[in-house]
Amino acid sequence: MTTRNPLYTNPKPCKHLSDYKLKHGLNGYKCLQKCLKSTPNGRTSVEKLNTKIPNCSSCNGYQGRLYFCMICSSISCSDHSSMHTQSKNGHDIAVDIERAELYCCVCCDQVYDPDFDKAVMSKHIIDMPSTENGVESIGERLCKRKRLDLGTDLVDSKKSRQLVLMKDPRAKSCYPFGLRGLNNLGNTCFMNSVLQALVHAPPLRSYFLSNQHNPDTCRSRSADRLCLSCDVSGIFSAIFSGNRTPFSPVQFLYSWWQHSANLACYEQQDAHEFFIAILDGIHEKEAKRMNQQRENGDCQCIAHRVFSGQLRSDVTCMTCGFTSTTYDPCVDISLNLDSSNHSLTEVVNKPGKPNTSSSSSTLLGCLDLFTKPEKLGSDQKLYCQNCDEMRDSSKQLSIRRLPLVLCLHIKRFEHSLVRKMSRKINSYLRFPFSLDMTPYLSSSIVRNRFGNRIFAFESDESDVSTEFEIFAVVTHSGTLESGHYVTYLRLMDQWYKCDDAWITEVDEGIVRASQCYMVFYVQKRFYHKANENLSCLPISPQREPFHSIAGFC
Amino acid sequence: MLGYWLIESGEKERLMELLRERLIECGWRDEMKALCRSFTKKKGRENVTVDDLVQVITPKGRASVPDSVKAELLQRIRSFLASAAL
Repeated sequence: MTTRNPLYTNPKPCKHLSDYKLKHGLNGYKCLQKCLKSTPNGRTSVEKLNTKIPNCSSCNGYQGRLYFCMICSSISCSDHSSMHTQSKNGHDIAVDIERAELYCCVCCDQVYDPDFDKAVMSKHIIDMPSTENGVESIGERLCKRKRLDLGTDLVDSKKSRQLVLMKDPRAKSCYPFGLRGLNNLGNTCFMNSVLQALVHAPPLRSYFLSNQHNPDTCRSRSADRLCLSCDVSGIFSAIFSGNRTPFSPVQFLYSWWQHSANLACYEQQDAHEFFIAILDGIHEKEAKRMNQQRENGDCQCIAHRVFSGQLRSDVTCMTCGFTSTTYDPCVDISLNLDSSNHSLTEVVNKPGKPNTSSSSSTLLGCLDLFTKPEKLGSDQKLYCQNCDEMRDSSKQLSIRRLPLVLCLHIKRFEHSLVRKMSRKINSYLRFPFSLDMTPYLSSSIVRNRFGNRIFAFESDESDVSTEFEIFAVVTHSGTLESGHYVTYLRLMDQWYKCDDAWITEVDEGIVRASQCYMVFYVQKRFYHKANENLSCLPISPQREPFHSIAGFC
Repeated sequence: MLGYWLIESGEKERLMELLRERLIECGWRDEMKALCRSFTKKKGRENVTVDDLVQVITPKGRASVPDSVKAELLQRIRSFLASAAL
């Protein structure tokens, strides 16, 4: 992974390009637009209308790079381009036919002009057909090699699993620190599952365990007002106390009901809704406490410091190609399932004909779908500054800034207002344990949209790591009305199933086969640091007699 | 003349696309990118032209194309010739 230079600026034009611009302005570019053609793969080239095969006017050669003079439209090969500019004064700037890039025949080098790139890209956007299913997604392509490497990882994990199984199964106290069941207080598995995941988010864990939110000194609490952060801190203390008997998070539940009065009941709730609510609760209390009203800065409450990222939305006018960009904060990303195999009508398999639409759904596929350009319907026309009119537009999302902990929420609950019904999508989704978010960053998405065009490079992204490791999965089984949430936690490369009060060690195969609903990833450096911290802690502070009641089976 | 036919029929375009895909998949393009970066670092960004880069990496690039890729493309060209001859 190469680090990005945050101080990147557009390269300065050479003297010859500046002279050309002064003399001809943008006229040449506008005329060139008519000769441009784009392939579905995103490559733009110059396609002259008279001859199909361009060749050099000096030597008739048609191989290698050919340059199309911006002034007289004659074509030269790389050997004869300098000859052309010598014979015709001022004919310095040309366009590389195959690549639609500017070239200066005097400097013998590629040159860059944002106006040229804008002209090329405007035409490109209009030409680009909507991406069909056949075209491989960018994320898939970039990750292909990485996936081939996974083969070796699996082999190693098999070996380590064998070592784990050889351990004495009676020695439950060899479970790492911080594993404790949570009793179900009446359909509260949605709460328990999310709490288990949060408790093991490395940055959150460091914050609360180091007592950075101290319930004793908390101002909200002393004024007899309930503070959600104090209760979260209480959960941490209980879970990391060393006591292995299942804990009943009553105080927390009560506190949360106060916060979200409309959800105070014993009915099953949505774990994702709960997750958002709890982050909101922590933010509210902390922001008041710290008295921060920073408009331009990022909120410094622990919830936002850990989970907050930023999304970029590019809206492009389909008529002129003008793009407007906005940025929005987010604490998680909700993804739609990518494949069509959750449609209600089953496609019957004809014998001998492979069913191409039954490719399995993957998390990367969902991320590709999330960052795919979406053509907005003609009933959703948006205002274009350039055309000064409402126009058909396309929208594309990308991630400008990644959070420390990335929560990916899979939208499995479909609510149809039209048909007045809700249903759950049960299709299996394959998800990776290691995730590289590079293809979904704004810089990658914008660059893939525009190729190596210069103006697309102007990003102020700082050097950020994009490699994530999974540490928790919240899974849902059953139907919308009666379902059950279970969390799988990965501690020190071993998976544990947290089913309310029952914690068991499980094989990673079980986790891979589970129906994920919320997948939690943490930046790689935090994951490894967390593992180090865990292994330094005493496995169990005191040897306790093995309890045969609900707990460790 | 073969080259002329390839372009005329649009086959060259298709072959180029295939070649691009294969070279990206096997990491060849990343290798070339790395070579360009190290060369640019050595010489300094202001002292490098695109032509320089092309000159430097062309021999290395040609030598490091995997045999499987070469074989696949040769096969495609052969089938094209066969169909064109008919």
